[in-house]
Amino acid sequence: MEMKEVSPVVKEKVNIIGKINKIPFKAIHFLLPAMIVYTVFSLYPLIDVIKLSFLNWNGLSEVKEYVGIENYSKVLTQDPVFWVAFENTIIWTILSITIPPFLGFVIALSLNQNIFGKTVLRAIFYLPVIIAPIAVATMWRWMYDPFFGLFNSIFNSFGLEFLIQDWLGDKDVALYSIFIGYIWQTMGFSMVLFLAGLQGVSQTLVEAARIDGANRFQIFKYVTLPAIQPTIAIVVVLSLINSLKAFDIVYGMTGGGPAQSTQMLALWAYTQAMQIYDFGKGSAISVILLVITLMIVIPYLIWNTKKEGKSHA
Amino acid sequence: MLSSFFKTQGSDDYDPFLITLWVLLILVVAIWVCPFIFILFTSLKTNGEVITTSAFSFPEVLHWVNYVKAWARGGFDTTFFNSAIISIIKVPLGLFISSLAAYAIANIKFKGSNFVYIMIVFGTMIPFQVMLAPLFNVVNDLGLLNTYVGVILPYLSFGIPYQVFILYGFFKGVPKEISEAAYIDGASHLTIFIKLFLPISLPVLSALFILDFVATWNEFAMALVLLQDSSMWTLPLGLMSFQGQFSSDYGQLNSAIVMTVLPAVLVYMIFQRYFVSGLTSGSVKE
Repeated sequence: MEMKEVSPVVKEKVNIIGKINKIPFKAIHFLLPAMIVYTVFSLYPLIDVIKLSFLNWNGLSEVKEYVGIENYSKVLTQDPVFWVAFENTIIWTILSITIPPFLGFVIALSLNQNIFGKTVLRAIFYLPVIIAPIAVATMWRWMYDPFFGLFNSIFNSFGLEFLIQDWLGDKDVALYSIFIGYIWQTMGFSMVLFLAGLQGVSQTLVEAARIDGANRFQIFKYVTLPAIQPTIAIVVVLSLINSLKAFDIVYGMTGGGPAQSTQMLALWAYTQAMQIYDFGKGSAISVILLVITLMIVIPYLIWNTKKEGKSHA
Repeated sequence: MLSSFFKTQGSDDYDPFLITLWVLLILVVAIWVCPFIFILFTSLKTNGEVITTSAFSFPEVLHWVNYVKAWARGGFDTTFFNSAIISIIKVPLGLFISSLAAYAIANIKFKGSNFVYIMIVFGTMIPFQVMLAPLFNVVNDLGLLNTYVGVILPYLSFGIPYQVFILYGFFKGVPKEISEAAYIDGASHLTIFIKLFLPISLPVLSALFILDFVATWNEFAMALVLLQDSSMWTLPLGLMSFQGQFSSDYGQLNSAIVMTVLPAVLVYMIFQRYFVSGLTSGSVKE
């Protein structure tokens, strides 16, 4: 290109860049904005919640009384709802790390075949993932409507009246009703991760196995499954972390009811602090949930960093 | 067109297994689509029609007035505006500060860079739903309850870990020679970052942009705690309150659901391919 006379605007620009270049930018300048925000709004609350759990405080008043471990002993020994929430959280977590990932895996395997319209199918399966959990809750609450909702109308019109339930009003059924909505929402998430993992399975290996006379099942067992092991681990861990966050969907569908039968630890911590204004007890529940989370997450992080270290070396 | 499908590699025959599989998939996808159709149909029916007709009957007259009424009764003017303001400020700003931090960790040698990285990645594992009370506490102490700033700052904070994690991985993959050459030529880190790293990471940035937009648009728990004044509510809060007040106005309730969900669905449909790459670029590497 021919060099023309430099316009003043360009000169100005060059000047600014020249000036900027003279400032000795260091790592700290780049890190500062993110670190300040992250420290104040993520790390500090993490420590603050521990402090709060030793106080008797309503969240607003000047009076804060140090009560030692009283909140913990109250939660663990005098609060029957805590144990319901504890049990539900465990049931929910176990279901969450098995059913949606398994379904997602099966769907991903099917979509990974040479079939018609897989892009559209994939898009539909993934669509619920991007919908606000609170909207999913509202949708499903309407679908579970005992009189005019989708489920009971379908059962009614197919003569399956014996299946009609008060889906969200029955203590024994409500938790599982919510979970079905949760499967609908989260299956696509596992599916997409598995599809990405399946892309990484060596086609040469699959082809070689086929030429050696392996059937579909054998190829799956001896080639695909071993190759996708790391993805399975990631999906399970992510599902686990997400399941501990289950808050919106329960809040929106039942609010923990009927009779606290769908209460969860995260929701119960919120209810104690923000609705009953017992910040001490709410924080104690948070800390208990946090400890459980960290007991699972930290070993995973260590395992993962070690693995990364190896692959860099 | 169809002739190339349903065949195993290297074979000219249609594979019955694949065809059966496809039929099964179509059945499952039908189940997945059902809720959408049911909600859409209900949103266009009058209450009388909802009660008397079957769930999957097409609305007799498209009752669009449900949308108009739900918009007004649900205060959608306000909630839509608030959600838009918060997302428009939060998403680009968050990406910018995350990429700055990721650049520093990936490309500038400094003491403790490993520690900083681990601290930040640790954040991806913290369920913030656990910390609503202390979060309320911090924001209240700063006098920022019921303000845009008071919700944007925590949103920024909870977006940083995942974004830094993804961008760090991407920046690490940029050949060292390029940035070192520029550095020797006298370019500052800021110039290298803006002129070199931002342009080449555009695909990753757009993926993260969309993921973050959807997450911000949909966020409920923090907003519930930090925005208690109804004039500051976001869409999810508005929908929740609508459900509480008008749950027996079936048509309008479902119109409200559709209106809340639609922006995210549109963004998803338009930018679909970025979504998938953004989700998977970090978590499934090899």
